[in-house]
Order: sequence, then C-alpha cells, then structure tokens
Amino acid sequence: MNVLETENLRFVYGENTPFEKVAVDNLNISIEKGEFVGIIGHTGSGKSTLVQLFNGLLKPSTGRVLLNDVDIWEKPKEIRKIRFQVGMVFQYPEYQLFEETVYKDISFGPKNMGLSDEEIDKRVRDAAKFVDLKDSLLEKSPFELSGGEKRRAAIAGVLAMDPEVLILDEPTAGLDPMGRDVLLSHIHAYHKTRQNTILLVSHSMEDIARTADRILVMNESKAAMFSNTAEVFSHGKELIEMGLQVPQITRIMMSLREHGYDIKPGILTVEEALQVLLQKIEKEGAAHGS
Amino acid sequence: MEAFIKAEHVSFHYENEDEHQVVQKNVLEDLSLTINKGEFVAILGHNGSGKSTLAKHFNAMFLPSDGKVFVDGIDTSDEEKKYDIRTRVGLVLQNPDNQIVASIVEEDVAFGPENLGVPAEEIRKRVDSALKAVEMYEYRMHAPYKLSGGQKQRVAIAGVIAMEPSCIVLDEPTAMLDPRGRNEVLTTIEKLNREKGITIILITHYMDEAVKADRVVVMDEGKILLDGAPREVFSHVEILKKHRLDVPQATELMHRLKSHGVNINEMPLTASECIKQLEAILK
Repeated sequence: MNVLETENLRFVYGENTPFEKVAVDNLNISIEKGEFVGIIGHTGSGKSTLVQLFNGLLKPSTGRVLLNDVDIWEKPKEIRKIRFQVGMVFQYPEYQLFEETVYKDISFGPKNMGLSDEEIDKRVRDAAKFVDLKDSLLEKSPFELSGGEKRRAAIAGVLAMDPEVLILDEPTAGLDPMGRDVLLSHIHAYHKTRQNTILLVSHSMEDIARTADRILVMNESKAAMFSNTAEVFSHGKELIEMGLQVPQITRIMMSLREHGYDIKPGILTVEEALQVLLQKIEKEGAAHGS
Repeated sequence: MEAFIKAEHVSFHYENEDEHQVVQKNVLEDLSLTINKGEFVAILGHNGSGKSTLAKHFNAMFLPSDGKVFVDGIDTSDEEKKYDIRTRVGLVLQNPDNQIVASIVEEDVAFGPENLGVPAEEIRKRVDSALKAVEMYEYRMHAPYKLSGGQKQRVAIAGVIAMEPSCIVLDEPTAMLDPRGRNEVLTTIEKLNREKGITIILITHYMDEAVKADRVVVMDEGKILLDGAPREVFSHVEILKKHRLDVPQATELMHRLKSHGVNINEMPLTASECIKQLEAILK
C-alpha cells in the first residue's frame, strides 16, 4: 500500500518572473507504507523542494501529492494536520530549540495537536527514550546540552508527534563518526519499532547505504533513479556524473567484479564485503590444497 | 624544515557557572605541537575533543590560559601583533553562508585586502588571482547566493587567499557540502598547498579527506593522541575506534580480513590500494 504518491508533481520557484526555476518537474513516484527511503542528489537537484512538498510546506504549481490516497491540499485550511502526519526534521534542527526546558520543547508539537496532558507526557518520554535522552536532561535548558544531545532533543520533538511519515534532512551533518553511528542506530530502531515510513535526505552515501531499503536519486528536478539500494549503488558511473558518489566499499567490490572476479554487484557495507571475501579466500585455499 | 606554528604546553580552560559552584572546564591540556612551513596537516577528533579550540589558537582568536603559541615566531598573546598574525593565518569555517558578506563574488573576495589597506590596483590583481586559484574567476560578477555550496565555499577560500596568508586553517569546510562540492574544495586545498606552498591545517570528520594530508594529528580530551603520516595513524584501527573515530572503509576491510588470519602486511588508505591488495590475495 502506498503512503505517499505524487501525480505529475511540478513546482516552479518565481513562476512568471525572470527568475523562474523549475525545481520539481513532472514527478510520478510512490512510496510504500513502512519503507525506509534514502533521497540523494546534488545541491539544487530538487530534493529539499520535494520533501517540503511532501509535508505541505510548499504547494505544488501543478500536480498532486497524495497521502494515503487523499490529496493533501484537498482542504487547504487543514494543511496543518498534514504536518502532524508527515513530520519533518530540518537541517541543523538544534537551532530551532527555543523553550525553557527540553521537556517543554519536545512537548511543543503534541501540545499543538491538542492531545491530553497524560498523552503528551507519554509521548515526550517515549520520544526522549528513542533518541536516548536521559530523564534528568528533560528539565534542563536546551542550551545546557552538548551539540549531539541538542540534535537528538530536536529530533525527539518531531518523533513526539508520532508522524506516519518521518522526513529527516541531513540529520547527521556536522556530527563526528560516533555521533553519526549512534543517531542512525536510534533512527533505525525507531523505524523497526514503529514500522512507519522514513525518508532520509543525505549527502553521505555511507549513511544511506546502511539504512535505506530504496533510494530515490534526484537530478535536474527529475527522479533519475528509484530502486533498491544495492541496485542504485551498482550504477557508480551514472551517480558520479550526477555529482554523487557510491560508498568506498561498494566501489572496491565493484572494481573487483569489473576485473573479472565473481562478486555480486551492490555490496553496501564492510561487513558484507568481509563475508564475501572470506568465503572466496577459503574456497581458493581449499582448491589450492593449502 | 622550518616551524611555522608552535604550540608550547598550551592549556585552555573556561569557567562555567553551574547553579552555585564554578566549574572549570579544560578544553586543552598541556598540548605541544609544531606545524612546519608548507605542511598539509589534518586534525581529527570527535566533537568536543578540542580540535576547533586548538585551531582558533592559531590565529589568535583564542589565547592560551597557560603556555604559548607562536605563529611565524610571533607570540599570539602580544596584543599589538594580532593584526600581523591574522594576515598570516586565514580561517575558513563550516558554513559558507556565514562568511560571505558582499552581494557580488569579486567584491566579497576584495573585502579582506580592502580592510588590510591594500592599494586598489593591487587588490584587483589579488582578487583575480585568488578567484583563478579556486577556479571561480568566471563567476566573479555573480551573486554569491546563487552559487552551489561548493562554489560558495571556494569563494570564501578565495577571500582568504586574497589576503595572501602563509597558512590557511579550515574548520570542517565540507560538512555542509554534497559529494561534488566536497571534491571541489578538497582539490582546491591540495592545489594551494602544492602550487603556492601555503601551509594547510584541515579539521575534518571525513577520513577520506584526512588521508590526503601529509600528516594526521588525532586529538582526544584536549590532548594529542596520535601524530604521524596518514598510513601510520590509520594503522591504529583499534585506538581510533575506541576514541569514537573511524578509519576509511578500505582500511577497515583489510584490518578485519587480517584479524581473520588473512596475510596482509600494509594497511591500504585508498580504494585503489585496497583493490590492488585484494587482487593479489585472490589470485
């Protein structure tokens, strides 16, 4: 079942002005319920515009965005409701923390949804748990937290709305490798537990390789590819032409394959590569009788 | 080799008032480091390891609480010499949007030398040559806001080059860029180092950027944990992982193969080195 679908979706900035620019051009894609979709594309490829169309921050110039088969702009006055269902974590979300305490900040979304105090409290605590923020931090001012904690608190604010679709725009930018790992594993665990749909926009091909089931590649306002992760990353040449990359490990294994070794395409992680290589080495060893 | 930056027993702390008690936070602790003229040094470390704080000591933005920093022989704590230090060491930050001040590319690049009181004719020359060095000359009349992230960051670098510093410190200059933008900035940095002999200090979280440096310094808890050529530093896979850092995937793969008993002498740093080694093993 599709949770999100676009029909001839088109968005033009500055329409009928000399600065007119088509950012999303006649896009027809559908995203299934419960999928984890990675969105990649160089700066200016249209991916940020697309995710803003998904949660109703931008209104299509023409075409439609369907959420559970209903046009999100069917009742323009109720577009706010869409934003509760399609939650968006912006780049550097920690700049948007503003409340006196972390607790109040996380509860801001659920409060606006008009939930009961009891439900709000439950949601805040659940969301904090998902991103591993300790209870003792909830009463602190957001400004007392470390950079990584602030980022997680800001993400918890969106999780607390329990959106059906969660969009994360570059959630790991500026984090160190460990911070990146930790955050991605929280997102992964959240996805596993809640079984909701996640769209992850990232410039880090490694992050995408580790998490996404499918990848949407945006290029020049169009969907250049939309396929499972291994398949997309087996198109190294095309991706590089679009100003993108494939993970280093994928490149290494693809190159061995091109040199005639019997290795499957689209290996995405070091772990996977290790298993494939160990198996091959063992076999060779046995064949050589050593 | 001639020393350009010398940090001698540098400590840096600040005081944080927490409720009623004053808590002292030590960011750098008795750190000594020499960076030579013309070197390309990458500084790695997890968030909070002190690497940005250290970098800000290199152009007298921060002064040590204890110890001394010398830039080209000048003591950074000499208030009257601050200007001389800033003209020698340029700083490029993470977000290009925070560093661009003018509405036309060439005016932005001219901003620094103008403030230095460089004569107009000389400014013209410097701006043109700086924009050529970062391959943005043809964009000189463009509006910065219309450029891509990588292009903006290159304009920011041109603005620093136009002041003709002998050293450029870059604090995570590619954190907000897409793969092409990262590549553009890295290529520019390497070129400035090789062709113009500018000393480069690159702070980064990306291991594939660090392997391009002559030397990698790893910071942890305000101290230097490892310091050496990339090959040497990245051979300490376990130490790096323990301190919240990564190694390139090529290195990690070979390290793990080795721990499974596969015979590997030298750890690769790049994809092409790794492929060569794997082909030799699989043959």
